[in-house]
Amino acid sequence: MSRGNNFIASLLWCVIALLVLYPLSILMMESFKISGTAEFGINNYLEFFQDTYYLKTFWNTLVLSTMVLLATTLFGIPLAYILARYRQRGKTIFTALILLPIVLPAYAGVFAFVIFFGKFGTMNLLLMNAGIIEKPINFIYGFHGLVFIEALHMLPFIVLSLSAGLTTIDPSFEEAAEVEGASGFWRFITVTLPLCTPSYLAGAVIVFLWPFTDWLTPLILGQVDFLPSVAYINIAYHFTDMHRKYMGIVAVIVSSVICITIFLLARWWVEKRKYTGLSKGTTSEGRVIEPGPLVKTGSYLYMFFIAALVLLIPIVLGLSAFSRRWVFEPLPTYWTLDNFRVILLESPGLIKNSFLFSSIALIFGIAFGLPAAYIIVRTRVPGKDALDFIITLMLAFPGIAIGVSYLLAFWKGIPLATHWIIMPLALFSRRLPYFLRIAHSSYLQLDISLEEASEVSGVGKFGTFIYITLPLLIKGVLVGVVMFFIMAFQEISTAIFLYRGGWETLPIGIYLNWHRGMEFGICAAMAFLMIVITFILLLIIAKIGGGILKAAWGPGEKK
Amino acid sequence: MNKRILTATFLAVFSIALLLPAFATDAQAADKLGWVGPVYKELSDSLTMGFKEYYKKTYGKDVDITFVRPGGWPVCIDKVRAWGDKPDADIFLGAGAPAHEVLKKEGRIVTYKPKDWDMVPAEWNGMKVKDAAGYWTCFAPWIVTNLYNEKVLKALKLPPPKTWKELLNPIYRGNIVQTLPYASGTQHEVVEILLQGFGEKEGWAMNRLLAAQLARFSTGSTDTTQLTSRGEVPIGVAQPQMNAMVARKDGYPVRDLLPDKTILVPEAVALMKNAPNEAVGKIFLDWLFSMEGQKYVLEGGYFTARTDINFTQWEKEGVAMAKHAKAALGVDNFWDLKVGFIEYDLDLAAKRWDEVNRYYEFEIYRKWGELKSSLFLIEEVEGEVNAAKAAKMNVKKAEAKIKEARKIFEYDGNYAAARLAAAKARSLLVEK
Repeated sequence: MSRGNNFIASLLWCVIALLVLYPLSILMMESFKISGTAEFGINNYLEFFQDTYYLKTFWNTLVLSTMVLLATTLFGIPLAYILARYRQRGKTIFTALILLPIVLPAYAGVFAFVIFFGKFGTMNLLLMNAGIIEKPINFIYGFHGLVFIEALHMLPFIVLSLSAGLTTIDPSFEEAAEVEGASGFWRFITVTLPLCTPSYLAGAVIVFLWPFTDWLTPLILGQVDFLPSVAYINIAYHFTDMHRKYMGIVAVIVSSVICITIFLLARWWVEKRKYTGLSKGTTSEGRVIEPGPLVKTGSYLYMFFIAALVLLIPIVLGLSAFSRRWVFEPLPTYWTLDNFRVILLESPGLIKNSFLFSSIALIFGIAFGLPAAYIIVRTRVPGKDALDFIITLMLAFPGIAIGVSYLLAFWKGIPLATHWIIMPLALFSRRLPYFLRIAHSSYLQLDISLEEASEVSGVGKFGTFIYITLPLLIKGVLVGVVMFFIMAFQEISTAIFLYRGGWETLPIGIYLNWHRGMEFGICAAMAFLMIVITFILLLIIAKIGGGILKAAWGPGEKK
Repeated sequence: MNKRILTATFLAVFSIALLLPAFATDAQAADKLGWVGPVYKELSDSLTMGFKEYYKKTYGKDVDITFVRPGGWPVCIDKVRAWGDKPDADIFLGAGAPAHEVLKKEGRIVTYKPKDWDMVPAEWNGMKVKDAAGYWTCFAPWIVTNLYNEKVLKALKLPPPKTWKELLNPIYRGNIVQTLPYASGTQHEVVEILLQGFGEKEGWAMNRLLAAQLARFSTGSTDTTQLTSRGEVPIGVAQPQMNAMVARKDGYPVRDLLPDKTILVPEAVALMKNAPNEAVGKIFLDWLFSMEGQKYVLEGGYFTARTDINFTQWEKEGVAMAKHAKAALGVDNFWDLKVGFIEYDLDLAAKRWDEVNRYYEFEIYRKWGELKSSLFLIEEVEGEVNAAKAAKMNVKKAEAKIKEARKIFEYDGNYAAARLAAAKARSLLVEK
């Protein structure tokens, strides 16, 4: 058993050593450098923990993470339940809509909300024109706006993971609870939710860690005092001030350590409570409930509310994409195709790059992720926990840190950064945990006895994997594939440090056009294009492999 | 099972289809040229168009131009640093003298005097316009200005502030935005202008008072442009002079504010050391300072650097932007402008760059909340002192104390002590 596994594990370790350990250790070295000297020491760290400002940013980030997780959980539980359990019309389209924010770069959403909820945005202008208010209301600039925008952005992760959990629960557990006399709400609280916790935590950790890695959303909303934003400003704008850069790297490393700790706690908890049902292999659908008219109306209204908020993003971006001068008007008054004309000169390359880099990263991801999940969950290869730990590091490490560390590591010694392959490689290592997490929790729910039975029957290890494990895992794997591709497609934090002329992806194009100032129309048009492309992609996948959405969301309408 | 196979097949075909175009990319035989720098898109677009045309016309070959603009100029310099000895560009395009002085000092650029180098003045009102040895040369000069949104200011019934002192008037409180000096070169220049224009002590006081006026800090000077253009905050501090002209052309109701004291930013260009396409880079530099190249600079929304340019004549020749430039500047050549420049010590500015940024960060930005509450308390007590004075009370002691409080606030930047002094002044008012 162990020779093959050891071989796989050592291959995985080689990849990890090159793409994770080496660049991150170089980054760590940077954080210990003392500016102005050739010496190393812990001075930067001491300064960080004695500086009330850095401690404040640290606290702010923690509060933000908690608030975002709280908000997404509160809004996510009913949503996931509705989508996973109720048989309703139009569920596929609602599902796709609610999924939309994760396929958008977070800042595309921010731009849309700035236009709509800004001081002289549509909402304020409408209210002022109607005479309801006299002075504009500050809807989004500030902590409240940050929580709102980040929560909306992260909501799909909670919904995705919860409904994955809800659909894979063996119906007999809930039926048993009903037979015992627990019904409705009580059953949901005592049986269903606890059974979902492993899946929920997979999503919750991603949500909680997000504010520790997202530097751009706070910056756009004028909130600099969060760890990743401070780190970004310190690293990107240090100019000749090396000390500033080192402090930025320290901030990155501190936030990463926090993330890893939290992550490990969550994982320890999941491992402690493995829920498995023996009948898992036999049902492809979870429980489906036909809701009463009242519940049905309520759930529709709820879905409409969330979907409307989400829809604001493409609608507002779409409107500004078709108008170059939308300002001080509730709706644009000047229509043009000019933005798209500009993009057609600029973007074919960007679109191609986005698809190309994400696809290559995806292939790397599957080739690496499946064996890795297998090694981690199913084998006793020495060092498998370390492998998991290291991969987890990449989730916790903010994109800017990976970008900077890759630039430091892959320029002179191993000159990977001079070739475009660095882009998919960076996307791969940055987004790998998303795939691995889901494959991992699917593995956890798969009872090992099924595989053992196969092996006892004389099918080899590989055969078992192909004929037994993979088909049973396919739900989790496909969800992972979609998530991975989507996340790679929207990646910017790492790419922004690594791209060179000609390697720009669509998100970089959006960012650059925003940053250049006065090019909002083009930026909106690019974001709009990105939404359209991704939406078509989702629809095609849903149409051809109906299994994906089904797996992610439970049964929709019958075809 | 069928569906699974279908899905798998689809995914496989899909990914192959995506990969195909990558391997099909044909290698073109065109010459190459790379730029890195912080210039705006309009300029890079215009220069790309113009130079490609010129290259084809003169050499009968295409030239592929790549332009990397990772952010403001400090970020660009960072990019160049990360490249090390193998730069990914031939030309550092844009940014003022301090950036180029850093590049020169770090040995990242080399000397090259383009053909019409002599047509650019060496100095103007005491400000360096090009490097004497030819490391960098200004191709698009501009002046540090502020920006305001006339529509919103009108709605707020506020007159546009004309001087730095006027910006400190409490009527503008909450209606001004600026970025952090370490996030933008232009913003850093404004901090430095106040320091050099009003003297260091007074300059820091002004920076403190200006910070108390802000609605928020923006994330960069282009962010400031956005916020002001969109009306989120009606006054934007630290803007390149041509921003107002270009934003107006785009339909935003903004105008340029030339403050009483300011400086010239000689937006310059330099040849990178170890430039991979050095020959093409030199051809580009020669072209950039030719009459033709300068026209593309103006069409790109920047002012021109040659002394022998006449906008009226260009307008006759059909250069569309010449009209806007003349209207914006009011003169026929940029160098004919009459401006209140301060005596700007470039060496001093370059030397204390980090120090100024750090002081601003630690003593103003990080203490922004405390700074504001201290100033507001002082203003409150000042109001009370005045009220007491009007009521014919004896306020001598309190007046002296509150003056002291303001001094502690403005000059020492000791906000806690300033609050204490203000509180003492307040208690002196009611003391018998």
